[in-house]
Amino acid sequence: MQENHLAKWLNNELSEEDLKIFSKTKEFNTYQKIAAVTKNLKSPDFDTQKALFDFKNKDKNTEPKVVPMWPYKKFIKIAAAITLLLIGSYFYLNTLNERIETQFAEQKEITLPDNSEIVLNADSKIAYDKKNWNTKRNIKLNGEAFFKVAKGEKFTVSTENGTVSVLGTQFNVENRGAYFEVSCYEGLVSVIYNGKETKLHAGNSFLVINGKIANLDAPKNGHPSWIDNESTFKSIPLKFVLAEFERQHNVTTSTNNINVDQLFTGAFSNTDINLALKSISVPSQLKFKLEGTKVLFYAENMP
Amino acid sequence: MKPDTSNNICDESVFDTVFKSNSKTVYNFIYYKFGNEEKAHDAVQEAFVKLWENCSKVTPERAKSFLYTVANNLYLNVIKAEKVRLKYADKKLKTTNETPEFILEENEFKEKLEKALNDLPEIQRTTFLLNRIDGKKYAEIAEMEGVSIKAIEKRIHLALKSLREKIDGI
Repeated sequence: MQENHLAKWLNNELSEEDLKIFSKTKEFNTYQKIAAVTKNLKSPDFDTQKALFDFKNKDKNTEPKVVPMWPYKKFIKIAAAITLLLIGSYFYLNTLNERIETQFAEQKEITLPDNSEIVLNADSKIAYDKKNWNTKRNIKLNGEAFFKVAKGEKFTVSTENGTVSVLGTQFNVENRGAYFEVSCYEGLVSVIYNGKETKLHAGNSFLVINGKIANLDAPKNGHPSWIDNESTFKSIPLKFVLAEFERQHNVTTSTNNINVDQLFTGAFSNTDINLALKSISVPSQLKFKLEGTKVLFYAENMP
Repeated sequence: MKPDTSNNICDESVFDTVFKSNSKTVYNFIYYKFGNEEKAHDAVQEAFVKLWENCSKVTPERAKSFLYTVANNLYLNVIKAEKVRLKYADKKLKTTNETPEFILEENEFKEKLEKALNDLPEIQRTTFLLNRIDGKKYAEIAEMEGVSIKAIEKRIHLALKSLREKIDGI
């Protein structure tokens, strides 16, 4: 008999010879019955249309659950990049120097981390390292400022013209172009100008105009006059006086037929422009015209 | 170049055709295995979801065996402790000119046969019923299950043999 003859028989593949032998066996009858009955068996009803409908509905339900994850991934990437940028710039900005600036006709009082005080005059800039202040007291100055330095490490003011360093004192530094002036009000100040050190005791000033050094008399009060809203000059060329006048009153000046190098001694108010104009013009025998924010100075004896 | 969608399961009409021609067999395949209609329904849904997800990788020719493999793997780890009790849809008797004795005898035989079928090893039962009820050819079942025709013949042979022994009581 063939191998798996029952399977062959069920599939009508049995050879005639084998079929003859097989049909004579006593089991044949039951086999025939099994084949006949199983052929008429039916599996439970299965609704293909409904299954397909279920499938399509399921498809719609599951898809949105999966797909929206991707846009968020993109969003998270962007958010991470922005966060990194913000954190990065925060730390970067933190390492930068602290900068303080005043405009024309403006004054600012600044208290440093060690309680030293700075009063910044009009149109001036300072910069310092806030984080390392206690180990390195170094200030860059462009303009004019009055310092009340608390006792501690060496306190240095760097300017384009020279360096001023102290241990704890009150002093004023003015550095404007060709004009460099340091006045000491308390303690001892060391001024390094062109590599040469000058020690300033309380009540002394160090002045450089166009590279010419002049030691001046002591300022009388414990602080510069501009703190009291007055600008004081002693034998200072008129052009520097006018420049200070421009800064304090936020005006522009022009001159006509005037020697701007003539020396000026006196003071003017930083609050009352009319009073200030008189204070400048009368001692210098000048006349002036005020039009809005423009002032013209001209010689009295002009034709 | 436009992709050829006429021969691609990702094309909805092709997919629907595959679904219509295979879903019932997948259903029966799992049903014969476990005798559980719910599992069979779930298997159909799962298998076709997988097919849809992989529609670009599976060719229509391979779709059939892909579906059975997925359906089969789905319940690989299910403990087969439950006793299988297959139910068959009621078939109205076509002939009424039979004698009551014959009908009684027939029903008795059917009962015995059903019990014997339930006792068959799952692999033999599935193969045997796919052939008897669904009318699948041996070659077709072999392709579905990824085995040789000879292996299918062996299963049918053994199934018939043990059914006969159970019914006749040897």
